[in-house]
Amino acid sequence: MMPELTASVGVPRIAAIEHPFGLTLGPPGDVARQLEVLRYTLRALEVISQAGDVVHLPFEWKSRDKLSMYPPEPPPIARYLRRHPWHIPKFLSRTPPQISE
Amino acid sequence: MVRTVDSYRFLEGVTRRVMKHWASLGRPPDIPWAPLAKPVAQCAISLLSSAGLALKTDLPFDRDIERRDPWFSDPSYRVLPRTASTGEVHVCHLHINPAFAEQDLNCVMPIERLNDLEASGEVGRSALSHYSYMGYTVRPEALLQQSVPGIVHHLREEKVDAVVLVPV
Repeated sequence: MMPELTASVGVPRIAAIEHPFGLTLGPPGDVARQLEVLRYTLRALEVISQAGDVVHLPFEWKSRDKLSMYPPEPPPIARYLRRHPWHIPKFLSRTPPQISE
Repeated sequence: MVRTVDSYRFLEGVTRRVMKHWASLGRPPDIPWAPLAKPVAQCAISLLSSAGLALKTDLPFDRDIERRDPWFSDPSYRVLPRTASTGEVHVCHLHINPAFAEQDLNCVMPIERLNDLEASGEVGRSALSHYSYMGYTVRPEALLQQSVPGIVHHLREEKVDAVVLVPV
C-alpha cells in the first residue's frame, strides 16, 4: 500500500502493492486477483533475504473510477485537527499532546 | 523493467503530505529478522489484518475510544478462526470505507484465499487462527506491550512459521 511508510517503521520484509486502501488483495469477488496477490506475497517471503528489503508486486490498478475509499464519516483525528490546528505539528511529529493541553 | 509502486497514488491533499512526511522520519537502526526455515509449501501461515476485524459473535472494537481520544484507538486484538467468512465479521476501522471488506472479507483478510492455497498444496497449512487489530494509533504503546505479546503467544502455540500482515 505505502511501502515507503511501511519501510520507515522497520518491517523485515515488504511486498508492495499499488491498490486502493481497503482493497489490499483486490476487488470484492475477484478471486483470481486475490489469489495472485497472495501467491506473489508468499513468493516475496521466500526470496527476500535481507531485512528491510522490498519486492514491488507487478499488479496494476487500472480502474480510473473515483473509488470511495473514504469512510462514511471523517476520522476523529481529522475533525480534531480542524478544531485544533495548533496540534498539527504534533501530529506530523507523531508526538501526541499531553491530556491537559 | 521492474515496476515501482507509488506509495501515494491513492492519497490527496493533506493526507498525502502527512504520509510523505511520516515516511521521511527515517527507519529504526535494527530491523528484526528471522530467516525462513523451510519452503512456504511446508509452512503454517497466519494472517494479521490492521482493518479492525471482529467476529459478530465477539466484542467489536470500541470505536468510542478513538472518538474520545483521536490520537489513540482500541489497542486490543481479535482472533478470527480459519473458518471465518464474509458476513460473519464487523469491520471497525474508522479510516477506510468498510463496504469492500463487508462485501468480501478477502479484500483485507484473505482467509478463504489462504485456504485455497492450502488445498492446492502451495502453502503447508493455513493456521487455525488469524488476527486483527485497529491499524490507526499515534500511541502504540498499549498495542505493542499488551496485544502483540498475546498474538505471539497464540502463534507459538499453533506452531505458525510465518505471518502475513495485511495493511489497509
